[in-house]
This record gives sequence, C-alpha cells and structure tokens, in this order.
Amino acid sequence: MVVYVEGVGMTKIDRHYDYSLKDLAANAAFAAIEQAGGVDGIDYLVFSSSLSSLQDNQLDTASYLATSLGLRGIKALNVEAGEASGLAAISVAKSLLESHQADKVLVIGAEKLNEFVSSKVYKQLQMLYDGDTKSFYNIGFAGDAAILMRLYMDTYNVDRELMSYWPALMHSNAKENPYAMLNFAIKPDKVAKSQILADPITLLDSYPLGDGAAAIVLSNKDMSSSPLAKISAIESSTGYGSIELSEDPLLFDSLSEAFRRISNIADTSNLDFIEIHDSFTITAMIILETLGLANRGKAAELVSTGYFSPGGKGPLANPSGGLKARGHPLGATGVYQIAESSLQVANKFPGVKANNAKKGLVVSLNGLGSSSYVALVEGV
Amino acid sequence: MDLSISRFWRKKEIIYKLNGAKCKSCGKVHYPPKNACPYCGSRELELVELPRRGKLISYTTIYAIPEGARHQSPIYYGLIDLGVTKITAELTDIVNANSLKKDMEVEATLRKTQEDRDAGLIYYVLKFRPVLVQK
Amino acid sequence: MATPKAGIHGWGVYIPIYRLPLSDIAKIWGWHPDQYKGLAVESKAIAGPDEDSLTMGYEAAYNAIKRSKIEPKKISAIFFGTESKPYAVKPSATIIGEALGITPFTMASDLEFACRAASEGMRSLIGMAASGLIDYGLAIGSDTAQANPGDVLEFTAASGAAAFVIGRTSNASAIIEDSVTFVTDTPDFWRRASQPYPLHGEGFTGEPAYFYHIENAVKALLERNGLKPSDFDYAIFHQPNGKFPVKVGQDLGFNMDQMKDGLVTPMIGNTYNASALMGLARVLDKAKPGQKILLAPFGSGAGSDAYLITVTDEVENRKPLAPTVEDYLNRKVLIDYASYAKSRSIIHVIK
Repeated sequence: MVVYVEGVGMTKIDRHYDYSLKDLAANAAFAAIEQAGGVDGIDYLVFSSSLSSLQDNQLDTASYLATSLGLRGIKALNVEAGEASGLAAISVAKSLLESHQADKVLVIGAEKLNEFVSSKVYKQLQMLYDGDTKSFYNIGFAGDAAILMRLYMDTYNVDRELMSYWPALMHSNAKENPYAMLNFAIKPDKVAKSQILADPITLLDSYPLGDGAAAIVLSNKDMSSSPLAKISAIESSTGYGSIELSEDPLLFDSLSEAFRRISNIADTSNLDFIEIHDSFTITAMIILETLGLANRGKAAELVSTGYFSPGGKGPLANPSGGLKARGHPLGATGVYQIAESSLQVANKFPGVKANNAKKGLVVSLNGLGSSSYVALVEGV
Repeated sequence: MDLSISRFWRKKEIIYKLNGAKCKSCGKVHYPPKNACPYCGSRELELVELPRRGKLISYTTIYAIPEGARHQSPIYYGLIDLGVTKITAELTDIVNANSLKKDMEVEATLRKTQEDRDAGLIYYVLKFRPVLVQK
Repeated sequence: MATPKAGIHGWGVYIPIYRLPLSDIAKIWGWHPDQYKGLAVESKAIAGPDEDSLTMGYEAAYNAIKRSKIEPKKISAIFFGTESKPYAVKPSATIIGEALGITPFTMASDLEFACRAASEGMRSLIGMAASGLIDYGLAIGSDTAQANPGDVLEFTAASGAAAFVIGRTSNASAIIEDSVTFVTDTPDFWRRASQPYPLHGEGFTGEPAYFYHIENAVKALLERNGLKPSDFDYAIFHQPNGKFPVKVGQDLGFNMDQMKDGLVTPMIGNTYNASALMGLARVLDKAKPGQKILLAPFGSGAGSDAYLITVTDEVENRKPLAPTVEDYLNRKVLIDYASYAKSRSIIHVIK
C-alpha cells in the first residue's frame, strides 16, 4: 500500500545551543503541519530519536512532545533504531496507516549531538555498535568503520585519494542545500589531509556532530488532499551489524536483504536519485555496491568519474549533501531523507535538483548494518 | 557510579577467557556467545575457548577518544583472525601506529579497559598485543 | 622432625615493554647527571597506561601455569604479593584466579609485606603443599613500584611480576629443600594508608634493614643445613638497586659467577615484590638438573627469607613452555619522563 507525504519541515542542521530538542522538533513539525494544511485529522505522532532520552533524562518523549506541540489527546509512540531510527519511524507510521490504526501521522525525528562535550558523545555513539563486545572497549564512534575502510582499500586495492571523491561530491551538493550543516565545497585532496579520527577515517570522511529536526505528515489515500509525494514501499531487514561476525563484511547483509524485499514489491529500476546513509565514506561505498549501483570494489572509482554527480549517467547521489555534509542528527536523519526526497519528486527541493525526478530510493541503516531500511519515494 | 557492576560481572567468563560458542548444528564459532547461532539460528551451542593467538586482518588507530580513555589514547583496535572465528579487540603495546601491519601475529593478554572514575570499579578485559615469542 | 619440602612446578614472569632511562629522571628533577650511577641501573621497566600489578601478575601467573603443565583448576591457593594493589579493599587474587580459570575452590588473598609479601606466600604454600592441605598453589609477586616523584627511590622503582606454581615434590622442576624467615620491627621504608607514595630512611634502608635481615636469614639457612656459599651454583638476593645484592652476596661469601644470572635489576630496575623472584625465574631459565640455588628476598619493615632450592631433571622439559625472562628483557622501547608520568598517573587529571 502506498502512503502520501502531505507536508514536510526541516531545521537547518547546526550547533543549536539555543534550542532544545522540543524547540527543534516544534520548528520542523509546525512547518510540516502547515504545508499539510493544518492539524485537522492528525491522529498519531511517531517520534524518532536515538540519544535524547539519555541526554534529556526523559522517557515517553513522544507523549510529552505531543502535548508540548498542542496535540494533547493524539496517540503517540517513540521509535528507536539507532541511526536508522528516522526511517524506522516512517516505516512504523506507514504500517499504522495501512492497518487503519491511524489516518494521518505526524512523524518527527529530532536529535542533538552537541548537547554534551564530544568525548561524551563519542561514548554515547559507541552504543550504535554491538554492546556485547564493544561497550567494554574505548573505540568511540569511528573504530569499526575505520577497520572496514582499511579492509576495503586492502581487499580491492583502492587508494585513499580515490575514496576522497565522495566527501567532495557531498560537500558540493550540500553547498546548495539551505538545511545542510556543512554547506561549503571542498576539493578531494583536502579529505586525506584533514584531522584523523580513526585512521584511515578523517574528519572529512565522517559525518559532523549536528543538531536538527525534520518532520513529515503522512496520510493514506482517503485522507490525502494535495500530497507532495508518495512512499510506494518501505522494507527493512536485520543483519550482523558486525565486521567480525559477517562472512563478507564488504557487503551489508541487512541492506542486501531489505533491497531484495523492496525489489520484490516495487520497481526499483530507473532511479532518478538516491539518498543513502553515508555516515562515513566507506559506508557510502559499501551501500552503493550492496545495491548493485557499482561493481564490487569499484564504487570509489565510479564516484570519481562523476557517475553519481549532477548531470552524471547514474542516479544522482545524495543531492542533499548526505550524512556527510547535510549532517546526521541520528534519529532525525531518516526523516530528513524522506522530506528531501519528497521535495525532489515534487520539484520543490531548494538545493541540487534531480532533473524531472520521479523516483528516488532512500537508504538508512544503523552502525554497520544491524538494521537496514529502504524506501521508495515517487512523485504523484 | 557510572558503569554497571553486574553487567560486567556477568560477562567475566567471556571477557577474561575468550570463551566463544560453537554451533552444534552448523559447526560455526562466534564470539561472544549469543543466545542462538547467528548463522543458522540453532540454540544448540557449546562454549569453546578460542585460540589466544591470531593474525590482524585490519586495524585502526583511534584519536576520537570516548570519555574516560584519554590516558590510553591513541586506542589501537583490530579485526583479528583466530582461525576458528574472527573477533575485534583493542590492541595494546603498540609502539607506534606504523608498526601495525596486516597479517601481524597478535596474542591475548589481560589489561585494564575502563575505570569508573576515581572510586568505582576497574574493568579488565583481554586485549591483543604483538606476539612476544614467534612460534 | 624432617624439614617439610615442596616443589616448584612452574615459573613465569612479566616485564612491561616500556623502559625509562634514569638520565631522564635526573634531568627532570635536577639531580646531578651522575647521581644514579652508583645504583648500577641504567633504565627501568614501566607499566603501560592499561597495566597495573594485577594485569602483570596475571601474565606472570599464566606463564607459570603453562610451565607447570597442570590444569588451572588444580590450583587451590593464590597469594598475590604486592605493594601497589589496584584496590585497597577487594582482592586482586580473585580477579587473577577467575581470569586464569582457577576459582572457585581456592584460597585467595593479597599479601602485604613491602617487597617480600610474595615470598611470604611462597613459604605458606610450601607448608600447605607439604602438609597435603593443597596439591598446588600459586604465589605471585607483582608491583608497579611507586616512588615519590623527585625522590631518589624514583631512579629504581620499576614494574614487573614473577609467579610460581608450588606443590608437592613429585614431578617438580625444582625442590625447595628448606627455608628460613627472619623478621624484626625495623622502620626503613613505609607507606601510610591512603598515601600514594612510600617514604624511606635513606641510608637506614641499608645496614639495619637490608643487610642485617638478609644476612641473618641466609646464615641461619646455611648453618642448619651444614652448607657453605661454595656449595651453591647460584645465589639470588633482593635487588633494590644493582649494588646492594652484590655487596650482600660478597659479604656472605658468594662470588659474581654465582650471582650474575640472578641479577635483573641492573636491566630493568627494582620490581619490588618481583625483584628477587624474577632473579630466581631467570636462573631457572638457565639452570641444569642437580644445581643448587640460594634465594633471599627481602621486604622493608623488615624481613628476609632464605631458600635452599635444588633443580631437578624436569626443569629441562619446562623451560620451553613459556617466554623466558630474556624474552621479556629483549622486548623494550624507550619512553620519556612525560610518558612515564602519564602512564603511572603521576599527572593529576579530573575523571
């Protein structure tokens, strides 16, 4: 079943020291509600956030948020799936609509990664990885991805410089996106020279720590008036989420399965654009290869040829600037991706546009694929 | 106190001794033991002590250090092939980052990993270091 | 009554990889550049930032158990001798025991008698094994060796560990034929509760303490066994520096040939509870069946033990089963005072 995006709202991703999580959520939600034609008919709030309950010392945030937004009385629940929370929340919202538990759902994703000093946030972000082993070590948020990046470069004999084209493309795209945190261009050679976070991952290979919120109003066909876009399918799968368990860590097994599932129920060919989860350069390369958009070991080279750039032969990759440059406020990211993609197919995205975009694929995952979510966004 | 006392205590068999699980159904070994085999779903698992020596498959030197570990910075971290299975672990006694090499032989040794500030518990885990004596 | 005898079944050591040149200490604290030359030590071993007496003791014990060729579960007593306990209250011995697969039917405690606590553990185990109370026990000496920064003690205070599996005489690598302990109240060196570093009486640590106690213990042992220094192939004494053990040995009538293999402090400094015991481990790494060893640990406060040890044929089978003292001595990397200060928590940080 198809659900419709009636309205979207986003805050610029930034260090929002002066706004609380609820302030950011309200900012995005009110914009989405206004675009959707008001609060009438909204009967459910699905709230997505990863670290906020820990950071704000707050449980049942969705309910408190509903009342805080003037929506007291509607139904509300939290969804948490680490970095994939946003798309997981939208998947839940879609299920609520399909099962007629809801007619119109407000999905809000909000996160603040600048609420604490960086060392504390690195420790909190370590929770994205398998706590059975990792939580007793001091590996921070980039350790596993760094091991994966070296493994990738060693296995396929890809050099560091070739990997740097992805961040440069992301910055180039983000430069046009008013909601992006890092809206400035960089040259590829700058990536390797930037500060090393976890060798070989540099600062410019990694997402920035940003605060932000995004919201969308979803409805089913009966309630739909003048939607921006439709979400024709969402699928997901769990996976190893671990380099050591996976027999082939250079593919994300959960994404492979989620993509197979969505391809069974929807036409995933002829994509005009993709919005993928490039938390690190390496994550982007593996996603492109898992989706079959690049041959194994060849994603970096394909990126460097401009295949995924505006005007390139392939689907336009992350016109928003991606997690890398738009930013990655964990639980909000999936909602940003759907909001941006909805604007793309409505030809209303205020940044890099995919020409006559009719169809885009959104990919969100947690860590190294403990879960993967994929969604197909199409024009109406 | 910031860290859980009982959570670490429950894991000591696994963390101190490198106890993994072998699936009686598919024969595959994983670490640390899960409630069912991550490969085939069988719940018929037996504890097996993993080899304490292995080879580095991949590695990293971490400078983005989480709270409480500044004195151990940089953190060296590796993906290790133990033959029967792979594990990830912190590496120690690494003299400099350039000494890390693929296929380098490493062995397990007990080290401190985290301390609960000044007055809480000290947590010990197995880390891996370059082998002392080549076999 | 026959003297109770026990066997050394396995021995093992641990020395951290890091070495601090003493010249660095002299430079930082404004000592005359030749100040430490009389100590006969050039650099000292320093535990890394993720090490403490417990982790070092674990590895020494792991090596000792390997050499003993017994299942860890057969060990039913662990004595951990240290003056740098990670916890003031909570036994390190249980953590080591658990990590080595020894517990739970195990006597386990941390002993304190300055540098001879581990030796007290060994003497206890001799009696326990000889009486049949236990089959095997583990004695570990391990220290990160604190010294007040800037104090002369800082030149030698080093990190290291040694461990022995002690049991009945059958199938042992060496037999402890006899042992003597000599203690008095002698305040040569102490650390008050809750204080980070020990203080000492400088020259008072020498004659009234170190020399007096070791000489009395050794003489008593020789006398009651009807032995003279020349009957021994090796003599090993506690090694607070490179000079004292040589002097006490010569005063007692031993020569350098007997002492040189048991001297470890000149290479790595004084590892406190592991000091003389590491010397014994190094001697066992080299000793031949039938050879006789004199061992005399010392601890401030003060006391000394003297041991008469005879090496058996079995020693040759055990040597290759774990890394030798030489393996650890050869594994080294020089660090500077700042790295040492960081890893030994001399720099105050807010946690």
